[in-house]
Amino acid sequence: MITITPNDFLYLGPLGVLTLVGFLLVLAEAFTIGKHRQFLMQLTVAGCVLAMLAAIVTWRQLQPGQTISAFSGMLIADRMSMFLIALFSGTTALVAMLGSAHQSEYGWEVGEFYGLMLLATAGMAMIAMAGDLVTIFIGIETMSLAVYVMTAARRGSRGGSEGAMKYFLMGAFASGFLVYGMALLYGATGSTNLAVIRGVLAGQASSPLTVAAVFLLIVAFGFKVAAIPFHMWAPDAYEGAPTPVTGFMAAAVKTAAFAGMIRVFVFGLGGDVVPFGHIGWSTIFAIMAAITMTVGNIAALRQENVKRMLAYSSIAHAGVLLVGIVTAGIDPAGEGLSAVLFYLLSYSATTVGAFGVMVWIGNRDRERVLISDWYGLGAAKPAAALVMTIFMLSFAGIPPTGGFFAKFILFKSALMAQDGSLLWLVIIGVLNSMISIYYYLKLVMAMYFREATGEFKPLRSGALTFVLVTCGLLVMHMGMMPSRWLGYLGI
Amino acid sequence: MTSAFYDLTVSHFLILAAALFMIGVAGVLLRRNAIIVMMSIELMLNAANITILAFSRGFAGEHRAAFQGQTFALIVIAIAAAEAAVGLAIVVTVFRSRRHSDIDRLTLLKN
Amino acid sequence: MNQVVVRWLWVSIAAALVVFFVAAPGLALAAEHSAQAEVSAHTFKNSKAVAFLFWFLAAGTLGGSIFVITRRNMVTAVMGMVATFFAIAGLFLMLYASFLAVMQVLVYAGAIMVLFVFVIMILNRPEDEPWAIHGLLGKGMAAIGLLYLFKRLASILWQVKDTHGLVVEKAQLAADVVLNHADPGVAAGTKELITRSYQFGSVEGVGYTLFSNYLFPFEAVSIVLLVAVVGAIAIARPLHKEAEMADQEAP
Repeated sequence: MITITPNDFLYLGPLGVLTLVGFLLVLAEAFTIGKHRQFLMQLTVAGCVLAMLAAIVTWRQLQPGQTISAFSGMLIADRMSMFLIALFSGTTALVAMLGSAHQSEYGWEVGEFYGLMLLATAGMAMIAMAGDLVTIFIGIETMSLAVYVMTAARRGSRGGSEGAMKYFLMGAFASGFLVYGMALLYGATGSTNLAVIRGVLAGQASSPLTVAAVFLLIVAFGFKVAAIPFHMWAPDAYEGAPTPVTGFMAAAVKTAAFAGMIRVFVFGLGGDVVPFGHIGWSTIFAIMAAITMTVGNIAALRQENVKRMLAYSSIAHAGVLLVGIVTAGIDPAGEGLSAVLFYLLSYSATTVGAFGVMVWIGNRDRERVLISDWYGLGAAKPAAALVMTIFMLSFAGIPPTGGFFAKFILFKSALMAQDGSLLWLVIIGVLNSMISIYYYLKLVMAMYFREATGEFKPLRSGALTFVLVTCGLLVMHMGMMPSRWLGYLGI
Repeated sequence: MTSAFYDLTVSHFLILAAALFMIGVAGVLLRRNAIIVMMSIELMLNAANITILAFSRGFAGEHRAAFQGQTFALIVIAIAAAEAAVGLAIVVTVFRSRRHSDIDRLTLLKN
Repeated sequence: MNQVVVRWLWVSIAAALVVFFVAAPGLALAAEHSAQAEVSAHTFKNSKAVAFLFWFLAAGTLGGSIFVITRRNMVTAVMGMVATFFAIAGLFLMLYASFLAVMQVLVYAGAIMVLFVFVIMILNRPEDEPWAIHGLLGKGMAAIGLLYLFKRLASILWQVKDTHGLVVEKAQLAADVVLNHADPGVAAGTKELITRSYQFGSVEGVGYTLFSNYLFPFEAVSIVLLVAVVGAIAIARPLHKEAEMADQEAP
């Protein structure tokens, strides 16, 4: 009669910690009044660190390649999911520190912010551990609903509510596609469990119904990762949201969407489901990756607003990550999957750091979001300019930063997949990296070779400094010793 | 033709759901009022639910697969409710700051 | 009385009548159908009355949804939506999902639509959306594209009626292979579920699945609902400044 055993709860530790601390924060918000709410941020960080530790402990208990399914296959605990949960928790902790400084400076101390952020992280953990389409759907919705609210959390900001509206409508539209695709997949295979779906689809010519389902899922995930042509919400939502929330969206939410993609496409659907081209659904993703990289980078070239530039740059990075997904799909034995995970790690650290500098540089009177606002930072604040330069180099993929090795490993694994059939995609990717150097260095040039316009009055906050230093060191360390970090993936 | 009319199959329900889904997509693409767009999204979710339940009816001989579908549909309804609540809250926020809810007139953030 | 309000009232009454005439007989017939028929795998009990009921509900669903997306008046659109949901509930009954049909009426037609009506009343801007002529070409192309997609999808779905029986057997085999190897506890659970046979679509069956195999999603939905409640309150409550101003004006 009972199908749930105590065993099932054993691997639920990290997810449970995130959820419980999230509940606690929502309660704490309700029972405290006034502006002395620094402890909310501290509680958030403590919860994230605890969840991270739990994920690391669980990670150590699992063998490489071992998968444990819990709750009738609804959740899967393996090393990849634990790695991703640790990554999400770390990102959330750092963003919470940014959020505190930004909130007190710009006067939007919304107490619910932290609780929602942790619950969003719990949704991401669900996606990372998902073994069933239902879990993926619930995880994506938990995360998305919380992030829509966080985008609009700065009350009275017209940009915030407008960005949230566009983000919500496009996100809900994508959810419609997601559910309909899942419904058709359920009809085509008779199950919502990803492992069972894989078993049913393996070794048979795929039915037209499966093809239709996969197309719908591609559209849905295309919206979620902001791949072109489904990207139109991203620049507006990124620009409208408060800067720490933008960092959260660009780093953690994008990573979670890719985790969902890995679960559904790489693990659930195998490589040869869609008879479209010779590499299955990967063909569509390969084309999408090429367009996304190119258009994202070209659009980023002409942006004058740093936030908007980083939004287009994050679209371009989604294109690079899609190359990794294609590689992992057509060559499951290769290094595609670990390349994607390493890229996500380095991209998250860089993104949080870059948005940290953006939070740091502005103040209530002058938010400094345009490139011209960054003129002369190198002379006035050399340390901050150095850190930002590290992040820009990492985004552009220049050694010795983590971004360089992430791109290198990813393109190398793509080259080795299927005897170089992805050569054209790698060439496009490398060309795009060269284009992207131009606009990343534009910001660096602005910092070092222009005269300052007005005195810099950055935010002074210990937490903020900690975030910047941590992210800078992490990015450099990933660039110096990538093999150690690849070892932490353990796949 | 008459047999297609009288002999109901799973496909009848599925095609009806597909039509409903397309109407929902059309509503999202063609309308500019945020509330109508949200209703169109609800139509899309309902189309997905009809599809799930029709397949589940088709699997009626096998209890696990069939009940899986019905439970999935229940969860979709719950989440649609949550989504509607958040969406309407965002509409109220936008309306408060600019007295309308037209998507096309939200042009503060542009290139 | 305001002319707009009067028109709303008339439209609402008309819509309610439509709801009554579309949905009530349909629901009654469908309930009867659902109670009497034995569920056998892969076959539908076909009679002319059932077929007519289906086409009736299909017309209600499609007509209602087209009504929704073509209205300028938002309250009218909501009424069309309610009619659509009643028709969909009837379809759910025809598919032996009686519990889901009740939920559809209670949650969708009852709760969500009332929420929509409340927000529309708060906004109180009935018709601020003139039809744009300049975008007509794009809209026409979008409509043609959607029609084409629908035709492709429909031709795929029309073939499903011949093949879906096979799918179940494959899924059964795959589930035994995959889940048995993954976790013996799961396999025992699924065997248990198969040996207990509930009447298809019964509340017991749905409840059993919800609290056994679907326990985790059931719990996780509570997180989504919490996020929605907390989030909606966080952004939709009045700003402190507004509240203070209201306080000052009050005395």
